Amino acid sequence: MRTLHDLSTPFFALVILTLLCTVSIPLGLSAQGWEMALAPRQWSFPRDHGSHGEYRTEWWYFTGNLTDNEGKRYGYQLTFFRYGLAAQAKIPANPWSVRDIHLAHFAITDASNGTFHFRDRASRKGPGLAGAGNDAMDVHVLNWSAVMKDGKIDLKAAHDGMELSLSLVPAKPLVLHGRQGLSRKGPEPGQASYYYSFTDLRTRGTLKTPDMKSPVAVRGISWFDQEFGSNQLSPGQEGWDWFALHLGDGRDLMVYYLRKKDGTIEKESSGTLAEPDGTSRHLTLSDMETTVLVHWKSTRTAGRYPAGWRIRIPTAGIDVTIRPLVADQELVNTVSTGITYWEGAVDGKGTSKGKAVTVEGYVELTGYAGTLGGVF
Amino acid sequence: MGPAIIRTYGLWKEYEDEGHGGMALRGIDLEITKGQIIALFGKSGSGKTTLLNLIAGLDAPTKGRIEIDGEDLAVLGEGGRTLLRRKKLGFVFQFFNLLPTLTALENILLSLELAGASDRRPALEALALVGLSGKEGRFPHELSGGEQQRVAIARALVKSPPIILADEPTGNLDSVTGTQVLDLLVRRCREAGATLMMVSHALNTCEYADRVLRMSDGRIFEESSCEGLAP
Amino acid sequence: MNGVIRSFLRYLVRRKSLSVLQLLGIAFGVAAAVGMTLASRSALQSLGSAVDFLRGGTTHTIARPAGPMEEGLLAKVMEDPAVKYFAPVIDRKVRLEGGEQVRMLGVDPFLDKDVRTLTARIASSARNNAKEEAFSSFLFDPGAVLVDENVARRLNLSPGSTFKTIQGPLRVVHVFPNPSGEPLLIIDIGHAQEFFRMRGYVDRADLVVTDEDAFRGRWATGFTIESNTQKAQTLSALLGAFRLNLQALSLFALFVGVFLIYNTAMFAVVSRRRDAGILLAMGASRGQVTAAFLVEVLLLGVAGGALGGVLGYLLSGFLVKIVGNTISTLYFFLKPSVLPWSFWNLAGGVFLGCAASIVGCLPSLLELRRVQPVEVLRGRIASRGASRRMKTIALSGLVCLAAALTLFGLSFLNVYIGFAGAFAFLLGASLFAGFVIILLVPVMKRLFSGAMGLAGKIAIGNIRENLGRTSVAVAAFMITLSMSIGLGSMIDSFRQSLVWWMNSQLRGELYISTKADVNVPEEFYEELKRLPGIGGIDVFRNVPITFRGKPASITSIDASVLQRYDRFGWLEGGDENWEPVKQGGAIVSESFSRRFNVKRGDRITIETARGPADLSIGAVFYDYASEHGVIMMDRSTYLKLFGDRTINSLGIFIDEGNPDRAKIIDQVKLRARSLGLPFATREEFHKRILDIFDSTFAVTRSMRVLAIIVAFFGIAGALMTLFVERQKEFGIYRALGFSTGDVARMTIAESLGLGLVSFLMSTVVGTVFAVILIKVINLQSFNWTIFYHFTARPYLVTALTTLTASLAACAYPLWSVIRKYPVMQIREE
Repeated sequence: MRTLHDLSTPFFALVILTLLCTVSIPLGLSAQGWEMALAPRQWSFPRDHGSHGEYRTEWWYFTGNLTDNEGKRYGYQLTFFRYGLAAQAKIPANPWSVRDIHLAHFAITDASNGTFHFRDRASRKGPGLAGAGNDAMDVHVLNWSAVMKDGKIDLKAAHDGMELSLSLVPAKPLVLHGRQGLSRKGPEPGQASYYYSFTDLRTRGTLKTPDMKSPVAVRGISWFDQEFGSNQLSPGQEGWDWFALHLGDGRDLMVYYLRKKDGTIEKESSGTLAEPDGTSRHLTLSDMETTVLVHWKSTRTAGRYPAGWRIRIPTAGIDVTIRPLVADQELVNTVSTGITYWEGAVDGKGTSKGKAVTVEGYVELTGYAGTLGGVF
Repeated sequence: MGPAIIRTYGLWKEYEDEGHGGMALRGIDLEITKGQIIALFGKSGSGKTTLLNLIAGLDAPTKGRIEIDGEDLAVLGEGGRTLLRRKKLGFVFQFFNLLPTLTALENILLSLELAGASDRRPALEALALVGLSGKEGRFPHELSGGEQQRVAIARALVKSPPIILADEPTGNLDSVTGTQVLDLLVRRCREAGATLMMVSHALNTCEYADRVLRMSDGRIFEESSCEGLAP
Repeated sequence: MNGVIRSFLRYLVRRKSLSVLQLLGIAFGVAAAVGMTLASRSALQSLGSAVDFLRGGTTHTIARPAGPMEEGLLAKVMEDPAVKYFAPVIDRKVRLEGGEQVRMLGVDPFLDKDVRTLTARIASSARNNAKEEAFSSFLFDPGAVLVDENVARRLNLSPGSTFKTIQGPLRVVHVFPNPSGEPLLIIDIGHAQEFFRMRGYVDRADLVVTDEDAFRGRWATGFTIESNTQKAQTLSALLGAFRLNLQALSLFALFVGVFLIYNTAMFAVVSRRRDAGILLAMGASRGQVTAAFLVEVLLLGVAGGALGGVLGYLLSGFLVKIVGNTISTLYFFLKPSVLPWSFWNLAGGVFLGCAASIVGCLPSLLELRRVQPVEVLRGRIASRGASRRMKTIALSGLVCLAAALTLFGLSFLNVYIGFAGAFAFLLGASLFAGFVIILLVPVMKRLFSGAMGLAGKIAIGNIRENLGRTSVAVAAFMITLSMSIGLGSMIDSFRQSLVWWMNSQLRGELYISTKADVNVPEEFYEELKRLPGIGGIDVFRNVPITFRGKPASITSIDASVLQRYDRFGWLEGGDENWEPVKQGGAIVSESFSRRFNVKRGDRITIETARGPADLSIGAVFYDYASEHGVIMMDRSTYLKLFGDRTINSLGIFIDEGNPDRAKIIDQVKLRARSLGLPFATREEFHKRILDIFDSTFAVTRSMRVLAIIVAFFGIAGALMTLFVERQKEFGIYRALGFSTGDVARMTIAESLGLGLVSFLMSTVVGTVFAVILIKVINLQSFNWTIFYHFTARPYLVTALTTLTASLAACAYPLWSVIRKYPVMQIREE
């Protein structure tokens, strides 16, 4: 964990980190009472929008591309993580007794002045301090929350000059990735997670960066991922590149590559293509061709990130080139996960089924400033 | 006669003692010219010391005026009188002549310092003059009464003041030493042209004196000789 | 160097022993003042740094007005837009096996690191020697604690070791650095709740607030919100009276030191007179003479002051511990550490020494200025008209006393006025010393000639003859003895009052859990209530509050039980005062009544969990529990207003006539023991309180000793001077046929004579001083009435001190006499 020694890690972050590290699974066996993602799942919504405590790790991931009334462009990311530290709390009657840790990341990209802001928080469940409901999407970490009601998702986050208040309405039905939601991350059984997305959410609301005096009204499109499982990555894996793109013709594309330490790509890497009519299709590694066009080096962490791609899905007639809206959208979380990654708004253009399309979306790059193998 | 260096006009002085009433001095008129050697006789309590103190400016008269070298003591003020004592007066007291914490030499040197000079040589010479060479480093309690007196005289002489007042300078000395000291004192004064006013009981003082004055009951009388002057 | 100055300074060298005595006297006086100031300042600084250390980046705290805060409120606080960060805290004391109390903070690491630099800093030390199991232990294992390096070193702990506390065992997981010096343990907040049996509650939340006014606007009702400045002020205010009295003590010590200098300067000037006469006659100016004297005095002042500065610093090391213990026992936890050596100690000491020297030698300086050389040259060194002067001085003493009386009358305005009055009184009394000597001399002559023959008679005569000096020595000695009597009497009276108070208010058979931070579970209380034979149980809860911006406290009790079994000391009325308390009214302690000017029949407003509430005050009672004042109410009222069910301790009462008394008590003890609750019988409880009382006066005791030492130097110096100056007389004695034994007896007699006069005067002055301390100083500083009780002990102790000091003081002169007398002769001038 090269990164961690470079940064001054607060003690308690170390607690979390070492906890994350200490629990290593003998492959193939369930570790300390956690369920494994082994077989395709029988999904039931809205219950499955809620928390799956029997699995160790889970997150609710919101990203989106927004524009305000003056045409200025923004990107946002709001993520809620749940990480189980113990299968049961030691003293169930005491709410402070630790079972899960809830973490959240909040980032806003302001394309018009090239700035990137992020905050992160963490808490145990405690007496109402954080939590994720079991029956529906109702997740919060301190005063950041994502709640689904009557099919609409309300996002709220505010901290230290940054604010977000959005309403998200699905424009397409949800998409199960992999095989009925079982998304493989490696060759061994258990190296997988359950994963679905809302790929197209109409978004309206307000946001505010520390540079602004008051919130601005914005609207746009968001992408939501929910993923849960128990310790999927193997030590030989270094990180991943994940793309969530909206094409101008209404198609949504999710692609991810799992990178191994030896430089090769895990052959379980895959993608999903959602059509405007709501149907979706699984893409295998051979379906996807991605070329990195340019790199960007972080002066902060010395990580060398790809910073421009050409993605081609020949079997779907997709050929797009995308670039980040702002080069530096690196999140250095010294607080919650102690892990550094790049997650940013991107845009570009290309062709889809022969027609010219614009592209907007989000890209996530992990493991470029210290490997994540064995952790997530 | 030369110019008057000490002049008093109708000097009256009240007794300070609780027991006495009345006046210690009753209308003293005095004129002493420069270079005169005066011997002052009188019974104890006749006011001799009082007169010396007044002349030195250490005390103020109840009535009357004193002029030293033409200056009215009353007009001079404390600062002026201090200066007078530094530069123009040498005093040899009846008791407690020396500062107990200074050596013989330092006592003499102090006199010079106050006058403005600080050269050791005159001090050493003065000490030699009174026959105490080699005893510079002695403290008063290490000297006999007579030796202390001689140091006091050296101290008075060393700054060559125009006036020297001596209150019983040979009081504690044996006759031989006493004569020596007296001799020394007078000779020095003559040499320097200084005025010397001595209070004394020793009859041989008269031999050295130009004038003999007798005080009785606060009044002063001019005598022609020491005859009949009992101590 | 100027010959004039040199002639004076040589005295210092010549009278070496005397100079040393004077030097030491000044040094000790300055040391007392410096030491006390440093101790007091280090206490404040420790307080400041402890507060800072624990506070870190927090701007405010929020808590219930009394009792712990429900944890459910945290989520609401969290949602407030004005709150940037919040961290719940449990802040209590654990009591180690040895009896020592250590602060333990229960925190949530996820939230706390944003709020407190302390927890963030623990990180850096953790990073270097991380042990993963150890850290996960912190979150998961109850009783897992972080221990600061000082505690670890002291108790010899390292990661993995366990140690016991009254509340339960704890296991060390990690040792962290602690620059503040205050012993500290850190535990996870969930485990803290279990450990202190307070599930569902936290003590407070520490906040970083971005918009204070908005926040207060939303949360003011039912909560106490304190900003950091407020908190520091409150803590500092808690110490207010205590520090004031520390200061006063040090000023007293310095006062004695100044007196000492006055003493020695007066002696010096007597011999300097003669020299001054000579110098003036020789033509030195008055200015030169006084300057030389001043240089001599200042030299002693500088040297003594410098020495005093160093000694004071060393003394502060000792005093700091005492002060810290006292504060910790009485107020709140504080373990001040000695301030690092600073050049300013020396400079301050020198300044004090010089200032004291100048003040002390001023009268002598004026004396010197007035010297008439004529007098000197006539051979009169002794000042005439001494008796007349003494009468004049006594008159000015009377004026001082009158001034003192006026100041006492005005002392209700400000406590400093009271102190000024006390000083004026002592000064005035000291001016009577000469007068008293004159009065007592005839009687003492008879006494001493009877005891020691002619030598004794002459000795007393000498005292009378040298009034200029002896009066000053007696004055200085008398002042210290009076202080000793006064302080001793006051402390004894206080103790008696305390005993009376305990017997009126603390009459239970058994007290459970009176030690701090071990609360009594409510179930236990209910269980005990049902025990057959129990007469009544007083349910006691005391909680600090802020009232009208100043610290005070609220006590909740069971009014019916106390009415039946206790005999409260009421300012007015009797036990019918309990009736309105049972109906929801309140009573207040005398300190509260005086401090806030609240009388019987008044109504006051206090902040409760439901907002401001009105209370009617039915009566005022005598109380020494806290000088900040107590509002007492029945538990039913307390629960209604605050909803805080915490029980700090129980008082068990059993009817007098009950034959099974002992058995019942044993049963209660058994049950308490099984729950791990400490208990104490009435005797043990009272004794503990008295022990605390005795320890809090440790500082005062040290000061008394110091003052006596300073005065001792004064007496010794006086005797030395008298002896040295009168060598001539000894020659005459010898010539007259006095033996060495006679003269030795004379010396002893003089010393004892001085001691006797001083002691006799001090009995009167000391008693009055005691009354002043009780009726003015204590009343104004602490706002409670102490009843004057005469005890013989202070007088006996002081008499013994006088005897010892007098004999010790004449030791050196005696030895000189025995050595030198056989060879003394009449010397010439």
